[in-house]
Amino acid sequence: MLFNYLKIGCRNLLKNKGFSAINITGLAIGMASAILIFLWIYDEVTYEQFHEKKDRIYEAWNLASFSGELHAWNTTPKVLAAAIQKDLPEVETTTRAAWPQRIQFAVGEKKINASGQTVDSTFLQVFSFPLLKGDPVTALMDPLGVVVTEDLGRSLFGSTDVLGKTVRIDNRKEKKITGVAATPPANSRFQFEYLLPWADLRTDGDDDAYWGNNSVRNYVLLKANASPASANAKMKVLKPRYDKEDPNWQMFLYPMSRWRLYSSFESGKETGGIIVYVRIFATIAILILLIACINFMNLSTARSEKRAKEVGIRKVAGALRGHLVGQFLGESVMIAFIAGLLAVLIVVLSLPGFNRLAEKTMRLPFGEPAFWLLLLGTIVLTGVVAGSYPAFYLSSFRPVSVLKGTFRKINALITPRKLLVITQFSVAIMLILSTIVIRKQLQYAQERQTGYDKAGLTYMFMTGDMDKNYLLIRQELLQSGAAASVTKTSSPLTQNWSDTWGIFWDGKSPDDKTDFDRFSADENLAVTAGLTMVMGRDFDLSKYPTDSTAMLLNESALKTMGFKDPLGRIVKDGDMEFHIVGVFKDFILGSPYYPTKPMVVEGAKRWFNVIHVKLNNKNSVAASLKKMEAICKKYNPQFPFEYHFTDEEYDKKFANEQRIATLSAYFAALTIFISCLGLFGLAAYMTATRVKEIGVRKVLGASVSSITSLLTKDFLKLIGISFLIGAPIAWYCMHHWLQSYPYRTAIEWWLFALTGLLTAAIAIATVGYNAIKAALANPVKSLRSE
Amino acid sequence: MIKITDLEKYYRTEEVETVALNKLSIEVKEGEFVAVMGPSGCGKSTLLNILGLLDDPDAGSFLFNGIEVAKFNERKRADLRKHNIGFVFQSFNLIDELTVFENVELPLIYTGVKAAERKKIVEEVLDKMVIMHRRNHYPQQLSGGQQQRVAVARAVVNNPKLILADEPTGNLDSSNGNEVMQLLTDLNEQGTTIVMVTHSEHDARYSHRIIRMLDGQTVMENIMV
Amino acid sequence: MIKLEHISKWVTNGGARVFLLKDVNLQIAEGEFVSIMGPSGSGKSTLLNVIGMLDDANEGKYEFLHEQVHLMKEKQRSQLYKQYIGFVFQAYHLIDELTVYENIETPLLYHDTKSAERKALVGDMLDRFQIVGKKDLFPSQLSGGQQQLVGIARALISKPKLLLADEPTGNLNSKQGEEIMELFKKLNEEDGVTIVQVTHSEKNAAYGHRIINLLDGRIEHPH
Repeated sequence: MLFNYLKIGCRNLLKNKGFSAINITGLAIGMASAILIFLWIYDEVTYEQFHEKKDRIYEAWNLASFSGELHAWNTTPKVLAAAIQKDLPEVETTTRAAWPQRIQFAVGEKKINASGQTVDSTFLQVFSFPLLKGDPVTALMDPLGVVVTEDLGRSLFGSTDVLGKTVRIDNRKEKKITGVAATPPANSRFQFEYLLPWADLRTDGDDDAYWGNNSVRNYVLLKANASPASANAKMKVLKPRYDKEDPNWQMFLYPMSRWRLYSSFESGKETGGIIVYVRIFATIAILILLIACINFMNLSTARSEKRAKEVGIRKVAGALRGHLVGQFLGESVMIAFIAGLLAVLIVVLSLPGFNRLAEKTMRLPFGEPAFWLLLLGTIVLTGVVAGSYPAFYLSSFRPVSVLKGTFRKINALITPRKLLVITQFSVAIMLILSTIVIRKQLQYAQERQTGYDKAGLTYMFMTGDMDKNYLLIRQELLQSGAAASVTKTSSPLTQNWSDTWGIFWDGKSPDDKTDFDRFSADENLAVTAGLTMVMGRDFDLSKYPTDSTAMLLNESALKTMGFKDPLGRIVKDGDMEFHIVGVFKDFILGSPYYPTKPMVVEGAKRWFNVIHVKLNNKNSVAASLKKMEAICKKYNPQFPFEYHFTDEEYDKKFANEQRIATLSAYFAALTIFISCLGLFGLAAYMTATRVKEIGVRKVLGASVSSITSLLTKDFLKLIGISFLIGAPIAWYCMHHWLQSYPYRTAIEWWLFALTGLLTAAIAIATVGYNAIKAALANPVKSLRSE
Repeated sequence: MIKITDLEKYYRTEEVETVALNKLSIEVKEGEFVAVMGPSGCGKSTLLNILGLLDDPDAGSFLFNGIEVAKFNERKRADLRKHNIGFVFQSFNLIDELTVFENVELPLIYTGVKAAERKKIVEEVLDKMVIMHRRNHYPQQLSGGQQQRVAVARAVVNNPKLILADEPTGNLDSSNGNEVMQLLTDLNEQGTTIVMVTHSEHDARYSHRIIRMLDGQTVMENIMV
Repeated sequence: MIKLEHISKWVTNGGARVFLLKDVNLQIAEGEFVSIMGPSGSGKSTLLNVIGMLDDANEGKYEFLHEQVHLMKEKQRSQLYKQYIGFVFQAYHLIDELTVYENIETPLLYHDTKSAERKALVGDMLDRFQIVGKKDLFPSQLSGGQQQLVGIARALISKPKLLLADEPTGNLNSKQGEEIMELFKKLNEEDGVTIVQVTHSEKNAAYGHRIINLLDGRIEHPH
């Protein structure tokens, strides 16, 4: 019996190749999308789930109000850990982690830059990063020790047997490897290649007990039965007790389970975070799968006219309803199975691209039996869900009416189908419109004038001896013809590293809490960056040695300060005094979506991290870079030559929007494809049920074109309704989305027109095939069976 | 009006070829009322489809009003059909979604008659068929006899020269059947040529002449008195 | 074998009852060969479907092999039907996706016949109808007469006591039709199969032992 079912199922698939292909690809694409999305969700919800003590781990957060607004953030003072240990009896231990850093490891001539963190000795006891070699309790106690990952060890020594070996760090200190850790799992916030002991920080003089320096992460491990609530009650009053400067700040402990998914705070309140995306994506995945199933049902039922005869005959031959339900369910499970295999293939092929898009390293867990069980379960469920309607519907035919061809009165079905098509197309129209708006906004921001000249502008972070040898490096760069201009700055021109509301000037109102971007440069900033000076002059130390305490303002800063004649005026930043020598046109330092903030550029007396080099456009970029490398090697031999192009870095500011745009384009394409399947199914169904009517009309003299338009018109109505639903929703969503970008594009009427036309064209193409086929059919055939 | 000579039609499947019409020759004069009889499968429906320009013959000649139409393409056939031929089917073939009025109006739309004109013509025909009071009903709301009257109304609304009827009483009981036959006779008396396929000797007696077919050929002709 | 008492069947159309069968009383004994005649629309096929349990009447009693069919549930009825009745149609109604062999085999699948036995039974039937050579062909590759032979073979495979035929020669030419009728006669005489056929043809009707004439859903009794 089963064999007979499979056989007829296969023959049916092969006989209707086009139909089967549409059905199977539709289902496969639906399933593949669902699998990809669930992989992403799985990756997100398993973040930090591998820590054995995950239920007891917390992170300390600040909660304080500035200019009337409550802020919550998770960098806290180094001194906090000791205070927590002292005041919170609920705490078993604490551990701190400094900001991740890239440092150089050297073994003999081999030099490798690796990123990692400086952490407390308790780090490996709180978090579950197993040591392959070494003792987790003592590994981070030795001030001269370092823990490296297996991979780093192998890169340095060519083997993993590296315990006790010595490495040279940043060309200044020798460290002994006290532990070899496994490479941390990708779904953890801790992505280290090395761990340095806190004692190292102390040796370098970078440890402090200042409550105002919020620069590290403080983690807390509660005792097994401790109450988080009572611990938090104590956290609330902890800072005011120790810190007399800012007695209004509070602190709280934030549980590990919420770090990844929830840690988005607004006005001091948790507002969701990634969990929102997890929920949205889960809904989308289920919807896609469901819609694919319903389309499958639609297409199958549309063909029921053809299968009806078979049902009638089988019933006459003695089949009970159960037999037929079994047969049709079996067929749909078989199709789902083929679709499932195809889906896995699609996932395998598209996973690298998806990983790039999502910036993850997900893979299909082929080795896990649970994965296969889940896949099989999904396939069977999809098959049963998708096949249930046609199965029960077809098997309910009364044989007499089927064989006589008088069973066609199933118009009631059309309404839910229409609803489905309207829903699908509303979503499709929404996504098309959203994609267009997102792209338009992206383009709008990308075309915004940056205010400086990115062409040929490069920068290097100062490492090792570069700071010491800066003047020599600059001189040689200019002399060799590699550089047209060189300037030392506090941060790259694409990044805002410092801002302050502690800028003072004569006549500043006491209520004025304006936050200034703070930047510093030695000289020739306007030339190197291509800034436009509107008043005064650039820094020039050779002509004006006092320029080391000079200041440049941007136009916004000038407006804020309200000086009519700014040149020569004194501006104070904390204890330091600067005199204004020039004003330049605003340039984008931070987000290209925001208006430029007031900005001060302080002179050579400030600190510097970056050398900006404007390449000489008389020489080729490659030649100039080669010269740059030679010069850097000469004056900073212990460090590899690393440089960045400003324009490339600037483009990275759009990565997030680019990703949203790509993602929405994919979703739009997918929805359109699936919607078209639904429409195709409905069209096939409707034309099938109207075969008699079409035949009659043709006999009465209707032309092919009049019948085609008759059939197409109905569907265009559905698309019209979808547009009326989808377009306002899209407008609302996009309007809302654009609000988060102060520098934004407008949603214009032609976007709607374009979307409407595009959708209508797609719909006509989909329906047209069925309509023309029906219109061309010989009416004798449709009327003969009567 | 109709003259077919040595007409042939086959139905082919992969392996076998079934002969539906086998060198059939028939002539129907203007104003005649002809009944075609024969067992199922003798080719009478095929003949009717070819006469109605719905299907084309594989060989032979078909003169319609003196014009050779056997090799006409679909477009030409459709054009000739909508102006000259009306159809009445066993199962009525009314469109369920349209009212009585709209069903009857349909052929006029396809021949491009103006709306005001259409209304006048349709009402006239509905009156004649005594179905005017049902003009806004849907086919499902009518009895079989009424549905067939609507179908006949639709067939004659264009004032066709020829009416082709395929077992017009097949789905009706005998009294409704007689009514429809009377309707066809009246039309014939007003000058419309009628070719009717039937199984019923009783219905056939309404005609002037019975053509009896077997295996795709005419086997006998009876002239009625 | 078959006993119909006051059987009526109707549909409601435009608010009025249209009778397909009206007060039909009919008895058919085992081993009979009965032809049902009447004009189109007289209720012949409906009567055949009611006898064949494919359709039920709105009113009246139906006894089949001393079982009260009109009181049965759908499931019991299909059990009874499955065991005793075979059907032959004017349009053959073969499954296009199955071969000749598989088409004939289908009813056995629903009788839960073992695979080896099915093979033997289908083999016998192919032999008997001399269509062994065609067993792997699909219906579309056969002529109408051959298709109807397969249809009859399929109806007979489950060894029914009653064979119901709805215009079995309707789509065949006269020679093919004659062959089928000869076959029916032989089945009735040699195998004792009770046969009820619906036909338009006087000639075919004459193969039966008696003819039942229907008009407007009633049995017309010869005057």
